[in-house]
Amino acid sequence: MITKELERSGLPTAQISTMTPIALMVGANRVIPGAGILHPVGNADLDPSEEKRLRRVIVQRALEALKKGIQEQELFQRSA
Amino acid sequence: MGLELNVININDVQFGELTEIKESALYINRSELRDLLLEDERLNKVEIEIAHPGESCRILQVADVVEPRAKIEGPCEDFPGAIGKIGRAGEGKTCVLRGTAVVLNDQSEAHDLSQAEDALGFIIDMSGPAADIHLYGKLHNIVVLPYPAEGVSRDGYRVAMKLASLKTAKYLALAGNELKPDDIEIYETPPLTEITKGMEDLPKVAYIFMVHCTSYPAIPGEPVLYGDNIRLFSPTIIHPNEIFDGAIVNPYDGIGTETYVIQNHPVIKELYRRHGKDLCFVGVILTVSRITEPERERSAMMAANMAKFVLGADGVILTKASSGAPDVDLAQTAQRCEDLGVKPVLIIFDRSNRGEVGEVFNLPGARAIVSTANQYETLHLPAVKRTIGKRVTLPSGRTCGGELDKVFRFIRGGLDQEGITNIASVRY
Amino acid sequence: MSQGLRVVHYLNQFFGGIGGEEKADIAPQAVGGPVGPGRAITNALGARGNVEGTVICGDNYFADNEKEALDEVLSLVRACEPDILIAGPAFNAGRYGVACGQLCKAVNEKLGIPAVTAMYEENPGTDLYREDVFIVKTDESVKGMNDAISKMVNIGLRLATGEPIGRPADEGYFPRGIIRNEFRDRNAAERAVEMVLARIKGEPFEPELELPKFERVTPAILEKDLATATVALATDGGLVPKGNPDKMDSSRSTRFAVYSIKGLATLRPEEFEANHMGFDTDLVNQDPNRLVPLDVLRELEREGVIGKVHEKVYTTAGVATSLKNAEIIAQGIAEAMKAGGVDAVILTST
Repeated sequence: MITKELERSGLPTAQISTMTPIALMVGANRVIPGAGILHPVGNADLDPSEEKRLRRVIVQRALEALKKGIQEQELFQRSA
Repeated sequence: MGLELNVININDVQFGELTEIKESALYINRSELRDLLLEDERLNKVEIEIAHPGESCRILQVADVVEPRAKIEGPCEDFPGAIGKIGRAGEGKTCVLRGTAVVLNDQSEAHDLSQAEDALGFIIDMSGPAADIHLYGKLHNIVVLPYPAEGVSRDGYRVAMKLASLKTAKYLALAGNELKPDDIEIYETPPLTEITKGMEDLPKVAYIFMVHCTSYPAIPGEPVLYGDNIRLFSPTIIHPNEIFDGAIVNPYDGIGTETYVIQNHPVIKELYRRHGKDLCFVGVILTVSRITEPERERSAMMAANMAKFVLGADGVILTKASSGAPDVDLAQTAQRCEDLGVKPVLIIFDRSNRGEVGEVFNLPGARAIVSTANQYETLHLPAVKRTIGKRVTLPSGRTCGGELDKVFRFIRGGLDQEGITNIASVRY
Repeated sequence: MSQGLRVVHYLNQFFGGIGGEEKADIAPQAVGGPVGPGRAITNALGARGNVEGTVICGDNYFADNEKEALDEVLSLVRACEPDILIAGPAFNAGRYGVACGQLCKAVNEKLGIPAVTAMYEENPGTDLYREDVFIVKTDESVKGMNDAISKMVNIGLRLATGEPIGRPADEGYFPRGIIRNEFRDRNAAERAVEMVLARIKGEPFEPELELPKFERVTPAILEKDLATATVALATDGGLVPKGNPDKMDSSRSTRFAVYSIKGLATLRPEEFEANHMGFDTDLVNQDPNRLVPLDVLRELEREGVIGKVHEKVYTTAGVATSLKNAEIIAQGIAEAMKAGGVDAVILTST
């Protein structure tokens, strides 16, 4: 799968995915839960500024995942 | 709750002056049926054709298959919530015309045909290799071709066509209501408080039935469960008889299943057959696949809870709807059951392509798998004398009635989610 | 009167009785009749055939001389005029297993003669050749010799006469990646009820499908400070310019596309959409940032959290993509990204 090949070639890759069990099972190293199959980094139920804020939070979590020197797979969960 | 199916075996279908059954042949008053279906203003034309087993005939763009059934006695109207008033299905007497089916043809624009790979949609051949792989090529099929009226929306048409197939199924079976049945099938199980009486030592088995995949756009008014299109649906316990008796209609986007299979549900049938002998069939849980991880986890957990702590199951059989993301719902639900000590067995079709394993899950609790056909095996289909449906020429230049290569997936009935066929994918 | 099967047997220097590692360089040689384990083959064949000749080659010679060694062995095999070649069993000897697999495949293809071999699951020859050649499963150690030989002979006899070979589990060979739909005596629902009862009773059962094993990849490290890094966006959600000008597949993809987002602050619905068969694309089509978060990444770029947003976005539709194709697609994307100076990637997936 794509994420693994990118990592294998030396590019740290954060995968934002709603199918986190699949992403982990198939072997992605940095998995960030997305907001839904229909909108991985969005949420049509929120008003636009809220939605953008959510998107920002998810992307920032992805950037944290990229910075982090991990040894093995990690799921970068939402904090409570 | 007890349901008696009065089965009338039909060995021929013809058009006639009256809709009636004489000596096992069903005669259909075509214009009366047509008028009935045209009461729905979303349709401006309806064609009705008949296809017989063994005929050199290909039915195109098949959206669903429904067994003709009509209530003789009981607390509900046919297909309650869909074409009938909401009422309790699964009780009383229902007439079944066996050996026939209503085949629904979809006249949507080619790009609107759900899940299709080309303008042929899902096909049924009445002879040749495609007829061998599933029951539908062996039935006397009454093909209903509803056409959308001007200005009707895509979704409006989808609902109207679905209802047309259900109305047809009821209309035809009413012809048998007064007749003496050839066979009687009785399905009866009491509530949980009594069901294990005398079966305390038998293994308790439940069935978790994923009926709908919610990754597709919602179709407003689409009947799935008692007429509801069940989108935000939590796992729900239902009596198996309700499933046999029209409470569930296959969703428009539901590949690998048809309403016919649900009416003749093979898992429920087999559990009933062995109930009291070597197992106790403790019940059915309905689920839908979900589109976010928390929803998926909630549904998996609740279904497993119900199986273990409400139904008291020792083992559970699971099937799914559609493919891809719902496979994860299936695997997660199975894992939650396994975690609770309820042993899951999954029925899935083989998604692999050319030796490469197609499944995307590998959870320890989701490994007991029974397979139906591999979806990518190609059948070479001969040219046919007659086609029913929208006649199209494919980009390759092939015509719809000509020789065709079709994989199992795009033959109606070739994909089997509930395990009604005898075909399994075998590794060599 | 039939004379029975003419079998040629291939062995390495050790099983050929010549020597151990120190003799692994020996060139191919042919001997009349059976040698070493070949005697057990002759016994197993009984009246049905004989090991007419044995070809022995050193493992290193075969491995180091590639084509030449193979050609030499093939001529020796051909000279014996066999009906079938049996190679090994190689158990867990890696070079030997690879040689056996390679030889069997060549004998099939170049001499048109059926062949069968045997080795342990972890022998590298197994994964390399199991799709081309019948490889009987052996134990790791030579204790499994007789069992392996009996299975090889069983399969070999039928390959020679053209009879069909049964299922891997029944005949003892590694699945060859061939899938066939077959009629069973009962439907899947009935078999599922059988299986669930077996599970409840704790009895053994055999799953009808094998699930994939996924390898892990060592995580890559971001070599520089995020504030100076170029971050690329990629997706398998099928992002395309509006109208899908390159006619990207919405499922079973075999390729990826690259689109410029240079100078764009956001993905506008007039310019981009999603082409993907596996989910309802309406919400993403209303706002493509819901699939590929360009708007937010640009903000973070302006704020100096990241160095730069890479000027291209990489996309494919991840529906029913075979694992092999996914690999090829991914390698292409990786090369393109590295050539473009990308340091890290955010990939969004539905």
